[in-house]
Amino acid sequence: MKAGLDPRTKLYMILIVSAIVMMSATTPLLWTVRIIMTMIPLILLVIEKRYSSAACFTILYALALVLTFRFMSEQNSGILQSLLTGYSGIVVQFLPALITAWYVVRTTKIGEFMSAMQKMYMPDGIAISLAVVMRFFPTIKEEYSSINDAMRMRGISFGGGKVSKMVEYRMIPLLFSCVNIGDELSAAAITRGLGGENKRSSVVRLKLGICDWLLITIFTGALAIFISFKYIL
Amino acid sequence: MKTKKLTAKDFITIGIFTAIWFVVEFAVGMLGYIHPYIVASYVVILPIAAAIPMMLFYTKTEKFGMITIMSVLIAIIMFVTGMGYLGAPLVIISGLVADLIAKAGGYKNFKNIMFSYAIFGLWVCANFFPILITAKQYKKDLVDSGFSAEYCNSLFKAINTKTIAILVVICFVFGIIGAFIGKATVKKHFEKAGIV
Repeated sequence: MKAGLDPRTKLYMILIVSAIVMMSATTPLLWTVRIIMTMIPLILLVIEKRYSSAACFTILYALALVLTFRFMSEQNSGILQSLLTGYSGIVVQFLPALITAWYVVRTTKIGEFMSAMQKMYMPDGIAISLAVVMRFFPTIKEEYSSINDAMRMRGISFGGGKVSKMVEYRMIPLLFSCVNIGDELSAAAITRGLGGENKRSSVVRLKLGICDWLLITIFTGALAIFISFKYIL
Repeated sequence: MKTKKLTAKDFITIGIFTAIWFVVEFAVGMLGYIHPYIVASYVVILPIAAAIPMMLFYTKTEKFGMITIMSVLIAIIMFVTGMGYLGAPLVIISGLVADLIAKAGGYKNFKNIMFSYAIFGLWVCANFFPILITAKQYKKDLVDSGFSAEYCNSLFKAINTKTIAILVVICFVFGIIGAFIGKATVKKHFEKAGIV
């Protein structure tokens, strides 16, 4: 492997981060663990040369952290303040999972992903569908923005103020293009032999390296700290 | 040429519609942070908003397993995005039941599809699961993570062990209404265009 990690390590990271995200940090130690866990995918993003997204996430996370620690209290009143702390609290809570997921989706090639899934004996149905889901979010975003552009060009901005029209004008064209893309995608996949009788071989050879084991250890340790401090002590 | 087994094309269809489903859910979910009562009204908004893509999905399902796989995917995504693992088995069960109902109608009978969709929509209630079972812990977690006490109180006023039964019923009813809306829309736009 060159710079990239094994997809299995990445999936493991997602698993652990999602588990930790669900437990709130209460003591300074837990906060430290949490922040370190968020730093790791950020550093990985930098290593993979995704500078702009790494910078965006860092700024957002730092901002939310500062806001939360500055204003966090149970008795805050006033709509603006409670909205603000509410949102920054959510960002602090869930952003680690989002960053990790983003990192995994952006840096894993489909071939690697499929071969990792095969190695974990995941049934084909789930592996293929999951791969499509992963690839499809950016496509939906792209299609959506071009639909918006097209509407703006014709002077339709809000669908005449009716909610049902607003939804209809956006969702129907989106569904149309998604269905078509799906047909193209399956044609492309079938010509490459997906869904054939034989077991697929893969060009990518997956092997867990030192970095992989290191990260797995760190994340397991973090989970252990969280569980022991939350539920045992 | 029709086989009973699911093919790669079916898997891709499942993936695409799951992605759309999730985008809809995410968009609606964002509203919930404005006020906790909106969280409770997911049971109304989601079944209706998601009906159009789902009805289109039903026209593309012909084999057993597609809805089940979709529910497994939803469970995985829910876990990854930190929405809890307690509801996951519930999601898969509702998917399986929905699949069986639709199968009984051969995936063509609208009455079966309608009930199947309404049952499948019940997984929305699975999102409320952590609020019910681990109520105390969950409340503490919410306050700790920066939600205001006011938000928590209204959230727990809207969703608790007493109201959940009503929420489930409402969810089911709106699932059926959504199925009608979705079917009408699919007929209006997609059948005319020959996509279905």
